[in-house]
Amino acid sequence: MSDKKSIFVVIPCYNEAGIIRETIAAVIEKGYSTIVVDDHSTDNTKEQLKGLSVIYVRHRLNMGQGAALQTGISLALKKKAEYMVTFDADGQHDVDDIDGMLQKLKEGQFDIVLGSRFLPGAGGNIRTVRKLLLKAACYLNYLFTGILLSDAHNGLRVMNRNAAERIHLKENRMAHATEILKEIKEQGLKFDEFPVHIHYSDYSKKKGQSLLNSVRIFFDLILNKIFD
Amino acid sequence: MTLIQVVLAAGVILIGVYMYIRLRSTLFDVFLIGLFIISGTLLVLFPEYSNKIAHWAGVGRGADLLFYLSILFLFFLILKLYSRLRRIEQTFTEIVRNKSIEEAEELDKKN
Repeated sequence: MSDKKSIFVVIPCYNEAGIIRETIAAVIEKGYSTIVVDDHSTDNTKEQLKGLSVIYVRHRLNMGQGAALQTGISLALKKKAEYMVTFDADGQHDVDDIDGMLQKLKEGQFDIVLGSRFLPGAGGNIRTVRKLLLKAACYLNYLFTGILLSDAHNGLRVMNRNAAERIHLKENRMAHATEILKEIKEQGLKFDEFPVHIHYSDYSKKKGQSLLNSVRIFFDLILNKIFD
Repeated sequence: MTLIQVVLAAGVILIGVYMYIRLRSTLFDVFLIGLFIISGTLLVLFPEYSNKIAHWAGVGRGADLLFYLSILFLFFLILKLYSRLRRIEQTFTEIVRNKSIEEAEELDKKN
């Protein structure tokens, strides 16, 4: 078992001051190194982090979640991280899932393990509308990347150094989730899914992806297909 | 010569000269600009030629042929611009990212 400090949890955030402290405190309590990538929030996110031992990076411009994730991963690589975890700031993930995912990654010698809300053993309060939308996104991802997963746009992922070094996200906004699959396929990375527990609070529901955003993601995906 | 012919021909020549001044980098550019000025002016002064070309291509009027071709050309331009926009976005993302990583701070209990 490697040192917990060499496991870096990357948390991209944009105006999440209301919940960020709670989310991060839970991660730190588990003993992982934590990188908070502040994508140019205009609220008091940084003040909320007072007294917590985290690495704080701030973008000078708002560039999107994909860009923030890549910044966090690049920084983690620089800090000699052995494993990297991507984790949403809005408190929807369960820190207890990280250990299980890491174990799976090591035992199965996977490069990347992706969280899924729909595998047997997963739990959470997902509304039917969202479920349907996510299922549609799964098939769309399959069309674009050739990889069919049980979940799409799940923010919880665990990867080793090899995967982090080889994936370089160019999609700044939400299309990065599909781009990760595309990179997995192109780079021949070994991957699997892992059932995770999700908790949608009123807060995260309010901040979550709207239908309109899905259209934007779709547009970004098409541009990515044309130009990359 | 009608007024519209004067306006259009003058426009074509002015744009051509402007392009020549701004982009006279390669012989090929000069050739393209020359072709643009000559064909543009000729078609404005003798519109019946454009009709002949259109008939030859299976289109009713010269103006219609021009319209179809411009739609294609504009679509091509939009794609080119998008791809350039994406490249620029990727470049500035890298710049902002590197700057942010340089400035990363380790917060701890003291803060």
